[in-house]
Amino acid sequence: METVQPHTAAVAERIRAANAAGGSLRIVGRGHWLAAGAPCPAPARLDLAHLEGIVEYRPGDLTLTALAGTTLAEIGRATEREGQWLALDPAGSPDGSIGATVATASSGPLASSFGTPRDHVLGCELVTGTGSVVRAGGRVVKNVAGFDLTRLNTGAWGTLGAITEVTVRLRARPAVERSVAIPLAGDDAAERAWDWLRHAVAMPMAAELLSASLARRLAVGDGDTLLLRFGGNAAFVRAATDGALALGRAQEIEAAAWAALRVAEPESAAVVRVSALPSRAAGFWRALSASADAAGGFAHATLTRGVIRCVLPGADTARVSGIVGSFPASATRIFERLPAPLWSEMSSSAANHELSARVRRAFDPARTLNPDIFGGGT
Amino acid sequence: MSRRADVDHATLAARLAAIAGELRVLVRAGELRSYESDGLPGYHKHPAIAVFPGTRKETVAVVRLLAELQQPFVARGAGTGLSGGALADDVVLVGLHRLKEIISIDADDARAVVEPGVVNATLTRAASAYGLHYAPDPSSQTACTIGGNVAENAGGPHCLKYGVTLNHVIACTVLLPSGDVITLGNADGEPEGYDLLGAFIGSEGCFGIALDVTVQLSRDPQAVRTLLADFPSVDAAARAVSAIIASGIVPAALEMMDAATIQAVEASIYAAGYPTDAAAILLIELDGAAAGMDDDAARVEELCRQAGARHVRSATDPAARARLWQGRKKAFGAMGRISSHLVVQDAVVPRTQLPAILAEIAGIGRRHGVSICNVFHAGDGNLHPNIGYNADDPDESRRVHEAMSEIMTSCIGAGGTITGEHGVGLDKLPYMEALFSPATLTAMCDLREVFDPERRSNPGKVVPVHACREWHGAARAPGAPR
Repeated sequence: METVQPHTAAVAERIRAANAAGGSLRIVGRGHWLAAGAPCPAPARLDLAHLEGIVEYRPGDLTLTALAGTTLAEIGRATEREGQWLALDPAGSPDGSIGATVATASSGPLASSFGTPRDHVLGCELVTGTGSVVRAGGRVVKNVAGFDLTRLNTGAWGTLGAITEVTVRLRARPAVERSVAIPLAGDDAAERAWDWLRHAVAMPMAAELLSASLARRLAVGDGDTLLLRFGGNAAFVRAATDGALALGRAQEIEAAAWAALRVAEPESAAVVRVSALPSRAAGFWRALSASADAAGGFAHATLTRGVIRCVLPGADTARVSGIVGSFPASATRIFERLPAPLWSEMSSSAANHELSARVRRAFDPARTLNPDIFGGGT
Repeated sequence: MSRRADVDHATLAARLAAIAGELRVLVRAGELRSYESDGLPGYHKHPAIAVFPGTRKETVAVVRLLAELQQPFVARGAGTGLSGGALADDVVLVGLHRLKEIISIDADDARAVVEPGVVNATLTRAASAYGLHYAPDPSSQTACTIGGNVAENAGGPHCLKYGVTLNHVIACTVLLPSGDVITLGNADGEPEGYDLLGAFIGSEGCFGIALDVTVQLSRDPQAVRTLLADFPSVDAAARAVSAIIASGIVPAALEMMDAATIQAVEASIYAAGYPTDAAAILLIELDGAAAGMDDDAARVEELCRQAGARHVRSATDPAARARLWQGRKKAFGAMGRISSHLVVQDAVVPRTQLPAILAEIAGIGRRHGVSICNVFHAGDGNLHPNIGYNADDPDESRRVHEAMSEIMTSCIGAGGTITGEHGVGLDKLPYMEALFSPATLTAMCDLREVFDPERRSNPGKVVPVHACREWHGAARAPGAPR
């Protein structure tokens, strides 16, 4: 059991004061998610960017504890020196914070093999909507002591508590890394790529299918293009790359393409993720990627997870609205970023409103934190 | 806790029998004896009544009846849990082992939907026809059920590479203690909203009953190699563990056994050919693509030798690998030859703390005059110090208890936790307040009340009740709405 640090006590004091005054707060880390656009009527900001720095990093344990405002770039630099990494690559600037990454449960192509933030976070400190300081989880890689407040707050967008500190699991960087781009012509590009992936003996760390427009933007191809990222020892990577030749002509690309993919979209873009069982999602690719490209945007898919991310120019709200309306009704839609006017007409189908509303009432009964920014009912 | 409605046992039993059938309701002390304990020795609790619904519909009806009558209950799978989580103290026990249908296996997407009473190893057997398996593999996998695995967020040796139950469950249909049926997670796309599935997994039966579970299956690896390295000291073995983890090679499993365990195994019918003069052995499994495996194996062997290994053996054919694993999987059984009762403890420390904590545990054992043997998931830092003893000897039981308590305190002090995969149940309740602040425990109580406002599901487990009551009183102004 640890004592509450002064910086956390200050956050708690701020939340209690807002609570007592009947006010509300918008949680702001590095500010990269503000443009997610969900209307947040809170007039005051709870700034957490100053909660910066790595609290503890023990390379031998492959765990790292950082204050919530620490950037992913800083964590990347510290761990790289030890041949390790936090295997999370969400879209957005590397100046985004670890706190926001966990709060929004953001992930990228590496989730294909390493999972999403819920699979990386070992524990966190947070201040609930009533100003109570909670330390969830721990700093060890396996832990089932008590109810899982860590998972509960991962992806809760700060609506149950403002995350002030995070402990994550790291991984050793593979000895050898190699990335290739494979052009996939034809209407069944996604199906073929998916079929290859689910039978591949040597699995890539990431396998992301890019629409033609995105492939051109990243200068890795001219049509639908599959990017594969392999990691392991030299013999494994050689065999894995050779195995990918079955799909098409593989061209080696710089690892920098993955970094470029993360920042390919402007902050003004509308981003909608469409997902389904991987076998079904592959069938959605052709229509979705074509409409995104035609609208001046692009699409990319994490095929093993059945997730297609559609990035559309946000300015033309009528067009965004029309494209979203054409998405398959049976698929799951998650709105990642939308222009402000569109939020009211788009609603996700978040299940269990009743139970979610009870969770919100339990931890933030007065809706002090990020009011209206996230489902969870009223 | 809730008030129980005024209903006598006979009436309750009759109403349960009307749902599940007379033969499926036990009321007599003799009949209930089998359900007085689970895998945790030294604890006996008498259920008031046990009921064993045979279908999902019956299960829902049973729980709705209990809700109507405001009766507390405890769900139970195979009763293999090691923390006393399935013990029912004068309340209704709801046995779920009859709900054992594998509802579907989708080979294309590597998914299965199963009822909670499906045995872990049975699922893997069924999936093997498609070249798939269910990765979490607790040592009790031939008996324990998926429902119990979800309740405890069970682990196992292969969780080092593949993750625990949490990382393999995609969705659950959950029967809340109120009798409402809800879906958590999303079997057909990304999950949305609060991660209530994540909160449910590992909630030790306090949040409700899983009626069905959608799990991710894993592809069988192309190649598997098991290495056995033996060391002249525990410290050397622990250093090898650190070196392997730091190398970037992620073994499928990385298990340690100390001399006492090796000797118990080798003296039993489960003898696996472990060197009986070793101070510790590591069982290291590599799996995945055949390409590159020779190099990884050579590197692991080199790291073991650098740390002081005397010999490193390698097995690739299934029979030889099974033999090496048999000693590990059956180590607890082997210890049964030596003493009548066995506490299988569970704690986690940061991996770099392993050498220090193992030395400390040995010292604690000596001080209390109890013999501790260690067989554990070294790659995760997940310790299983085990003490064989005679639970009918009060003095020995007391010394065992004191030693365990000191071990827990040491693990907490080393930056670890009190359970990595067995759960808190009844056994670890006394340590929760050493690990979590009052505010954190209150938050856990609040989360429980979201799922079970009356706290009727598995009452008295996981979070100390007295703690919740006091803190709730302190945190809320008198008369404030709850």
